[in-house]
Amino acid sequence: MRTDARTEDLLRQLAPQVLGTLVRRHGQFDACEDAVQEALLAAAVQWSEQGAPDEPRSWLLTVASRRLIDAWRSESARQRREETAAALELTSPAESSDRDDTLALLFMCCHPSLSVPSQLALTLRAVGGLTTAEIAHAFLVPETTMAQRISRAKQSMKATGLPIEVPPPTERADRLGVVLHVLYLVFNEGYATSSGPALQRAGLTTEALRLARLLHQLMPGEAEVAGLLALLLLTDARRRARTEADGSLVPLAEQRRDLWDAAQIEEGVALISRTLGTAPVGPYQLQAAIAAVHDEAPSAAETDWQQILALYGVLERIEPGPVVTLNRAVAVAMVDGPRAGLALLGTLDTDDRMTHNHRLDAVRAHLLELAGDLPAAREAYLRAARMTASLPEQRYLALRGAQLG
Amino acid sequence: MKYMVMMFGEAATMLETQSKEWIVEMIDFMHQLDQDLRNAGELVASEGLADGSHAKTVTFQDGSTLVTDGPFAESKESVIGFWIVDVEGQERALEIAEHVVAFTHGPIEVRQIMDAPPEV
Repeated sequence: MRTDARTEDLLRQLAPQVLGTLVRRHGQFDACEDAVQEALLAAAVQWSEQGAPDEPRSWLLTVASRRLIDAWRSESARQRREETAAALELTSPAESSDRDDTLALLFMCCHPSLSVPSQLALTLRAVGGLTTAEIAHAFLVPETTMAQRISRAKQSMKATGLPIEVPPPTERADRLGVVLHVLYLVFNEGYATSSGPALQRAGLTTEALRLARLLHQLMPGEAEVAGLLALLLLTDARRRARTEADGSLVPLAEQRRDLWDAAQIEEGVALISRTLGTAPVGPYQLQAAIAAVHDEAPSAAETDWQQILALYGVLERIEPGPVVTLNRAVAVAMVDGPRAGLALLGTLDTDDRMTHNHRLDAVRAHLLELAGDLPAAREAYLRAARMTASLPEQRYLALRGAQLG
Repeated sequence: MKYMVMMFGEAATMLETQSKEWIVEMIDFMHQLDQDLRNAGELVASEGLADGSHAKTVTFQDGSTLVTDGPFAESKESVIGFWIVDVEGQERALEIAEHVVAFTHGPIEVRQIMDAPPEV
């Protein structure tokens, strides 16, 4: 069976709306998801041949509802009574919009009571509309394993009776934080990981971008959502320049800037520029602003480090942490010289959170190299290479260190 | 995060020192563990290896390759089986290892599989 690209785009856009509506009406995420899957399958066949109906969303909702009722009919009468009662309780009195249903579904999949791997898998499946096989492929695990993970997540959803709703204002900021973090992790899974088939992984960054775009459309007034979308756009724009053909890493300063995606940079810069100042600034907006400064520099040498340093200063104030300090040390080195950066790095030596983090030594090595202390730089590169769990990074650090020997 | 959970041991010693009942129980235990890990959506792969006494080791000596009998490590116990699990973090990988060690009493080495951590 082949689905044309237009039909597929349409189906993936409609899938979370239809699922969200169905779950809100009837509860039972599991049964609703099966019904929606069947409806999508029917649509893929029929629409590819005959074109989409005039009201594709209603078509899907009708077919999915019918499948759901069929499934219930085939079960025992006793069970059916219980489910009908449960469905009645869960039905909210007022109809809500597609927008709210998709959002509610996203918040449900990113509920804090679910484990992080479950949140990722459920979001990609229920909101992203990816198949279990596609998700398994992307995370490099067997399909049966991923199927179990998803089914367990659904069970725990059922057991804890997770509500399908956009959280009330009191919880909203925290819950949105989890949703943003999930999208950020999906992106990183595709962007930072170079193990496995490259194309599959690129699929995850594309999917994270699509979901971040969707969330931004649904919550245009949320500055941190705009911040995350801008950050992903501005980071993903450098993807082609980030690795050599053989998969080895190219550091930012040495990337060919003509390979960067100019249109995506323009979009990201415009988005973050119009967002900053509309609400209290948050960490995603600040990271996007920093990425924008990098992306707008015509060459590494022309990077506005003063501005980056100022932005890291703000980031450290609103969300302090060793990784932020580490990044600020790089900016300090570029503005005030490598020794000043090294002095700031020294403050992290006693931080337990950095004990197993290779980035401390990687940055130290880089700054020592800039300061001209090559033997110490070499040692720091090799220490970092031993500590990293990333294969491409290990290669990069080991080569960099070996080159100074 | 993916981890390789490597079980060390030696079949000959086990056969000499353990009862038939224990061995049957051990096989059931391993089957059950695989099943549980699969059901939890955590199992990537698992294999048992033929005894280390059947291992061959290939080394480079005096300018050429050399094949010798026996496992590479000097110790009597070598890897006899492994699981590759995809779990939320190191804590869970260690929990799996402890579960096995509590049963077998043999050592287990837990190693993170190379992957890339988030950039920021």
